[in-house]
Amino acid sequence: MIEHNLLTLLLVVPAFGAVVLLFLPRQWHHTIRRFSVGTLVTNFVLSLLLLPSVTGALGEALARRLPGSEHVSVPDYATGAFQFVEDARWVESLGIGYRLGVDGISLWLVLLTTLLTPIALFGSWTSITTKVKEYAFAFLLLEVGMLGAFFALDLFLFYVFWELMLVPMYLIIGVWGGKDRVYAAVKFFIYTMVGSLLMLVAILYVVAQYEGLTGTITFDLRELGNLVLPYEAQLLCFLAFAVAFAIKVPMFPFHTWLPDAHVQAPTGGSVILAAVMLKLGTYGLLRLAMPLFPLASQELAPTIAVLAIIGILYGAYAAWVQKDVKKLVAYSSVSHMGFIALGMFAMTPQGVNGALLQMLNHGVSTGALFLLVGVIYERRHTRDLDEFGGLAKVMPWYALVFVIVSMSSIGLPGTNGFVGEFMIMSGTFVSTNNPNGVGFRDMGGVYTLFAAAGVIFAAVYMLHAVLKMFWGPVNRKENEGLADLGWREWTSVAPLLVLIFYMGVNPSVFLDASAPAVEGFIADFNQRYRDQVNDDTLRVVGQPVQAAASATAAVEGPAEAPVAARRMAAEAAAAEAAGRAAVRGERLRRRGAPDPVLDMDLGFRPQVLRAARAAGGER
Amino acid sequence: MSGAPIVITGAAGFIGRAAVEAATGLDLPVRAIVRRDCGLWRDTPGANRVGDFGVLIGMFACVSFAGSFEFSDINAYASVMGSQDLQFPGVSSGLTFGNAATFATLFLFLGCTGKSAQVPLYVWLPDAMAGPTPVSALIHAATMVTSGIYLCCRLSPLFLQSEVTMSVIAVVGALTAFLGATIAITQHEMKKILAYSTVSQLGFMFAGVGVGAFAAGFFHVFTHAFFKACLFLGAGSVMHAVHAHGDADIFKLGGMKRFQPWTRWTFLFSCFAIAGFPPTSGFFSKDELLVGAANVWLEETALPSSVGAFVFVVLAVSAFLTAFYMFRLYFLTFEGSYRSAPAEGEDPERGGHAPHDDHGYAAHPHESERSMTLPLVVLAFGALVVGFLGMPHWLGLPNWWEHWMEASITNLAVPESESHTPHILAMAVGTAVALGGIGAAWLLYYKGAGVKALDEPKNNKLTHFLFDKWRVDEFYGGWVLGPIKWIAIQCGRVDRTFVDTLLTRATSGSAALLGHLFTRLQVGVVHAYGLAIVVGTGVLGWWFLYPHARVDVTPGAEAVALSAGPGLGYEYRWDLDADGAFDVPLQPETLTVVLSAELEQSAIDQIARRLSNVITSVDAWPDDRRALGTPVGLRRYTLTPPAEALARTRQFIESTEGITLEGSAPAGERFGDATAAEHRYDEDDHVGFTLAWQDELRRSHRMELAPGETLLDASLLAFAWEPVRPAEAEPDPLAGLEPAFMLAEDGSLSVRPNGADHRGLRLDEEGRASLAAGDRFTLGGRPMRIVPRVRARVQVRNAFGNVATETVEFDLDPDEAPAAAPLAQNDRAGAGR
Repeated sequence: MIEHNLLTLLLVVPAFGAVVLLFLPRQWHHTIRRFSVGTLVTNFVLSLLLLPSVTGALGEALARRLPGSEHVSVPDYATGAFQFVEDARWVESLGIGYRLGVDGISLWLVLLTTLLTPIALFGSWTSITTKVKEYAFAFLLLEVGMLGAFFALDLFLFYVFWELMLVPMYLIIGVWGGKDRVYAAVKFFIYTMVGSLLMLVAILYVVAQYEGLTGTITFDLRELGNLVLPYEAQLLCFLAFAVAFAIKVPMFPFHTWLPDAHVQAPTGGSVILAAVMLKLGTYGLLRLAMPLFPLASQELAPTIAVLAIIGILYGAYAAWVQKDVKKLVAYSSVSHMGFIALGMFAMTPQGVNGALLQMLNHGVSTGALFLLVGVIYERRHTRDLDEFGGLAKVMPWYALVFVIVSMSSIGLPGTNGFVGEFMIMSGTFVSTNNPNGVGFRDMGGVYTLFAAAGVIFAAVYMLHAVLKMFWGPVNRKENEGLADLGWREWTSVAPLLVLIFYMGVNPSVFLDASAPAVEGFIADFNQRYRDQVNDDTLRVVGQPVQAAASATAAVEGPAEAPVAARRMAAEAAAAEAAGRAAVRGERLRRRGAPDPVLDMDLGFRPQVLRAARAAGGER
Repeated sequence: MSGAPIVITGAAGFIGRAAVEAATGLDLPVRAIVRRDCGLWRDTPGANRVGDFGVLIGMFACVSFAGSFEFSDINAYASVMGSQDLQFPGVSSGLTFGNAATFATLFLFLGCTGKSAQVPLYVWLPDAMAGPTPVSALIHAATMVTSGIYLCCRLSPLFLQSEVTMSVIAVVGALTAFLGATIAITQHEMKKILAYSTVSQLGFMFAGVGVGAFAAGFFHVFTHAFFKACLFLGAGSVMHAVHAHGDADIFKLGGMKRFQPWTRWTFLFSCFAIAGFPPTSGFFSKDELLVGAANVWLEETALPSSVGAFVFVVLAVSAFLTAFYMFRLYFLTFEGSYRSAPAEGEDPERGGHAPHDDHGYAAHPHESERSMTLPLVVLAFGALVVGFLGMPHWLGLPNWWEHWMEASITNLAVPESESHTPHILAMAVGTAVALGGIGAAWLLYYKGAGVKALDEPKNNKLTHFLFDKWRVDEFYGGWVLGPIKWIAIQCGRVDRTFVDTLLTRATSGSAALLGHLFTRLQVGVVHAYGLAIVVGTGVLGWWFLYPHARVDVTPGAEAVALSAGPGLGYEYRWDLDADGAFDVPLQPETLTVVLSAELEQSAIDQIARRLSNVITSVDAWPDDRRALGTPVGLRRYTLTPPAEALARTRQFIESTEGITLEGSAPAGERFGDATAAEHRYDEDDHVGFTLAWQDELRRSHRMELAPGETLLDASLLAFAWEPVRPAEAEPDPLAGLEPAFMLAEDGSLSVRPNGADHRGLRLDEEGRASLAAGDRFTLGGRPMRIVPRVRARVQVRNAFGNVATETVEFDLDPDEAPAAAPLAQNDRAGAGR
């Protein structure tokens, strides 16, 4: 049945569409546009099958229609394990396999990709008039690359897709870009390439070490996860991975390709670049770098946090003084992506979940912002802030949409941006309470102070732009007769507007699917960290680490804490238990039934425990 | 464990607050279009964002203790937060906020100053004044700005945990009350006066909160909502009547009571209420606030009495000013004659419904419609009577308000006293200042003449200063926003010049430079390539000059076999017990002797003759005497006697005058071909001890025992370990310490279980047991044994005569083979012959 090869199908549809495109006459612009957008929309519809609710409904419908038909298996993201796994042989002698899978972490990023690629292509319907066929071809190929990177469970396959998406984007910027498009495209390419090569070396090192210990050569991510590298080796490998991903994110000081690439890229390219490709950096950190090298990622967490905070504040500051709207949005991306990196390394459920959600938020709101900037650019062929003023009178709907999207970018409650940033910051703050000493230890509060200051500046630069563009008198004659949003522009931006509010009001839909995977990720990380911090000799852990099984072990508390201190902590906890239990019991009574989510130990440990532990430790 | 439900349910308070902010945000563009003063409205989101920052941090601090965003949970943890410290770097060195409650509440209060327009973040509120009147009224009086008070009241148990925060709130509130009142005195525009009055009244509420009278502060929120809404709507009614847009200058009004009786009466009642004239609502709520301050001042409470005194005095002064400026507003607006009436001979049609100009307002004002006056009546009625909900309890009157709030708000504990001094004082002072303020305004603005002169800013420096609102906006513009903007500009500049040019271009430039340099190597000249080949070969040859051999250790039943890696032309010699001497037979020795300068030439010759058989080299120091032609000087001989002659040669050197032995060294470096050697190690060879133990999975662990004391981490032990508590009588320095191993300087090893369960150890009276290599015992449920460590050394010499020394240290563990790769200290000595 289809569900066994759904992921392959999602890769094949755009790839096949790209091939078909080659046989269409290049003058048929409209046919090419309709066909390519249609292909991407089809792929989006197909990707909805990844959702349990959709698959379940489909299965029921099928069962009603065809009583004898085969049962459609529904994915279960609550297990935290990979779904729709495909494992086929490819280059067997080198241990390279065609291994695909989706879990709660990648699920929404996949859907974000399949949603935004058609939107981005549709948004450039009228603005791209030359080489339309090649443009559409590049977009279809780009989707294959991005989806493949999110699906890949094989390091080699990941690398292939990672590089694959580089080429179409390079062409999109270099061929259809602005005045300095070649400079920007080359800069983008070289930056990304340098990082990727470092990552490739690290991948090969990891595989070679694994082969040296087990005798089998494999690129399977799930098996390589059992490899324990000595600390120094982890440090180097992590740096190699982290540089590759930090360039992609981009984190300070690797960010300067981004403003250039964004400013020069056509609207569709900017949308995809900001909305999806940047996410691959944070996704790579989360999926590859952190689980493979827990000691190093914990050791370098403060460094990354500091870089992330510099990115948050510095990006916001730099955005404030930009004259070019697109550049302003590009720098705001630097700022927002800093939040995501910070949340991931906090190693708290809120932080990592918030980071995941913020990836989606940033994709939606920044994608929408780039679309909107593209709208005004198409009309005026300039993006200079000084050229605009009083647009709210001329284009009221445009102004309204822009303000809404800006509010989402600022993180106003009720929009998606707020939920993500809030969870990240609270996750960073309570990171001090983490068991096993993972996360930011006692620096969590300090990091939050600085990150929260970024919230102030987000309002400053975004409102500065909104104010300049939309209020005040109409300052240019050219601005007077501008047309408001057309139906195509409405069509492309409307789904994003809906998402902005839906995600802002009801984020649990998204978090429910990702939370088990994140929980497994954190438990797994804790377990690995505890194992390796005591003993980092080169070895392969015998049993594959089961995320679900280790979940309970990891939250029990640090095993290395002295026994006496642990007992004292227990006493202190008992002393607090009365009040705490009363509160909790009251809450349960009020709700009627225990809430499995709310009443779980969220990793917030009252500081009492930790203080007692510290007191016990000092003696 | 998803965090989302927490965010959704728990952050409701924050969302509510921020939703109000959203409302302002949406209101403001409208206003900005109206006013086109785009520079100012940025203050609203700006100041509120700073406030949001505070609320966020405060919330996170609370949640890191309570584990929940719910008010009830946080309040349940208030006492814990009041006694614990936050986990921050620097806490151990004393850099703290005192306690977590102080940290959290200070940041929460920062949020309150933003939302509720307190010093220093109040500047946005008067600026957000150009909206339609009912919106202003709603925002200012009733809902939005008071949400800060609401937050404090909701979390009153938490705030009460921090004396610092309470004092800060009290002082800030009192200062805000004073500041707002002084600014309101000099303003000319109705809504501006009312806006600063709102700032001032919010200060009153916070001062009440700060002195622990939460319920009183909240009561003032309640009463204030009535009279301030009525005042704003009244001002709107007046502006409507005179066709004023934006704001109405009270010096162009006057005598409005003739045109607008309804508006006038409701406005007057509200003025009485806000001035605190008994028995209007403002009187009761303001009285409660003053009582709160007087309580802190005069009674024994948890807060410093100086704060209470300060707050009481400042509030009293501010209350006087409040009464004064409100009645100034009233008299100038409603009493006297209409100052915008058309002069004689002027076109009576001026104004009317036509757009007015700068000279004045509509010529013929009129009372507003019923739809506008009816709310005024309702609100004014409320302003008069709602105070009776909170009548003073000490007079035996019922105080329902206090009673209703009891369940939700925790006030500062004030001891019961019979004297009622604070109550009497507060009521007397409150009534006096209200009457005084009204009277002063009556004298100056009703009876008085030349009013305009007094209020003209340029006539009076103080008035000017107050009229310019203490020039705080200018201060913010110049000293706060300016530097921040400057930083932003610098960031933009740094990004282009430093990060993008220096870092990026320098990196790419260095790659280009390398490419350029390597291009230069391809010169195409055969000689150059030949040179490169020679140099390359030389480098490779030099690399091969140094020998290296890896030592493998294979334990046997009796002896340990060691083997070194082979190499082309390698020779070996072993020092298996690492005692410094190589395990080879006695060797010829090289002796260095020095002849004394005092020796006669004949003696030297004699000695030289005696030693002629063994002298291998002679060094002569240049000496003055050489100048005289005699080749005599201090001489140094190197002697290499054969082994059998060594003793005799030494004897000769010792017995002969003028010759001294400078040093000796083994002469022949006799290397052999043996790549392997075998040795039986005994006790003399031990260089240290390793502790080996097994965990519950029977995995082996090892730990080297360093000289001195090694404390055993208690977590290694299988059983819960109880530290020995010191006895009362004889304090034991070892009490509470973990089991320890002692490696003394003389190499003897002992263990001190120190209370841990043990088997196989015989303790002496000090609680120690001495250990020897190979001992097995159980400590804390873990099978342990002492394994001796030994060291072996091998020197490898290659064909070039270069020597490398490899040292291996390994455990002599009978139970298991030594680790595959023993600790190897490769000391590569390049000492050629």
